[in-house]
Amino acid sequence: MARKEETATDRRTFLKMASVGTLAGGAAAVTGVSAQASEEIQVEGSGYRESEHVKRVYELSRF
Amino acid sequence: MSASAAYASDSALKSEEDHFRAQIYLLIASLLARPPGGEMLTVVRQLQGDDSDLGKAFHSLAANGDKFSEEQLRHEFNDLFIGMGRGELVPFGSYYLTGFLNEKPLAKLRNAMRELNITRADEVKEPEDNIASVMEMMAGLITGAFGSQASDATQKEFFDQHVGSWAPHFFKDLEAAESAKFYKPVGRIGQLFMEIERAAFAME
Repeated sequence: MARKEETATDRRTFLKMASVGTLAGGAAAVTGVSAQASEEIQVEGSGYRESEHVKRVYELSRF
Repeated sequence: MSASAAYASDSALKSEEDHFRAQIYLLIASLLARPPGGEMLTVVRQLQGDDSDLGKAFHSLAANGDKFSEEQLRHEFNDLFIGMGRGELVPFGSYYLTGFLNEKPLAKLRNAMRELNITRADEVKEPEDNIASVMEMMAGLITGAFGSQASDATQKEFFDQHVGSWAPHFFKDLEAAESAKFYKPVGRIGQLFMEIERAAFAME
C-alpha cells in the first residue's frame, strides 16, 4: 500500500488504485456478496432499515 | 423519501472505488454478523484477488471456504464472539474504547445514527456498536441505503468517530485470535481495508 500511497495524491485516485485488480475476475462473486449481505443481515439481525434499497442499488449497478 | 431519491445514488455508486468499498464492507459485515452458511460459503469460495496484500488475503479466505464444515464454522464463530459467558473477542466499539460495554461511545454512535436516519432493525437485541453493524452502516452511507448517499465528509466523520478509532484493533485481534482459523484472513482483510480507508480519508 505504501507504494500506491506515494503515487496517488487525491482520495479517489488512491482508492481506484487500491481497488483495481484486488478482486480481479471476481465481479460476479462480489455482486453476489452484496445481495447476500443485505438479505441476510436484514432477516437475521444486525440489520438496518431500508437494506432492501442496498439490494436494489446493487441490482442496478451490476457490472 | 421517495424511491427515486433513494436510487439517485446509483450513478455515483458506479464509481469503481465506491463499489469496491461498499462490497468489502458488506462482505465483512456478512461474515461477522453470523457464521457463514451454504450460500455465503459459495460466495466466499468464488472470491479472487491479485498479488497485492489484500488480494492474497482474499485468496486465503476463498481457500478457507472449502476447508471447514458449516458446523465447524458455527463452533469457531461461537468460540470467537459468543463463548461460554464470553467469546475470545468482544466485538463492540464501546468495549474497545473504554473496556466496558454500553458506555459513552455507544451513546455517541446512537446520536450519529439518529442524525443519519439509521434505525436498528426491531429484532436486533445487541448494542449497535457491534463490528458487523458499523461495517454495514459504512456500506449504507456509501450506497445511500439510509435515504441518500452520504457525502465524503459525512463518511469521513462517521469513520473517524465510530470505526477508525477501534475497528483496526479488533481486526488485528481477530487475525491473532487462538480460535481463528476460517476467520484469520477476515481479520487480515479488515486490517488492510481499514488502513486503505484511513489513508484515503486523510487525503481530503
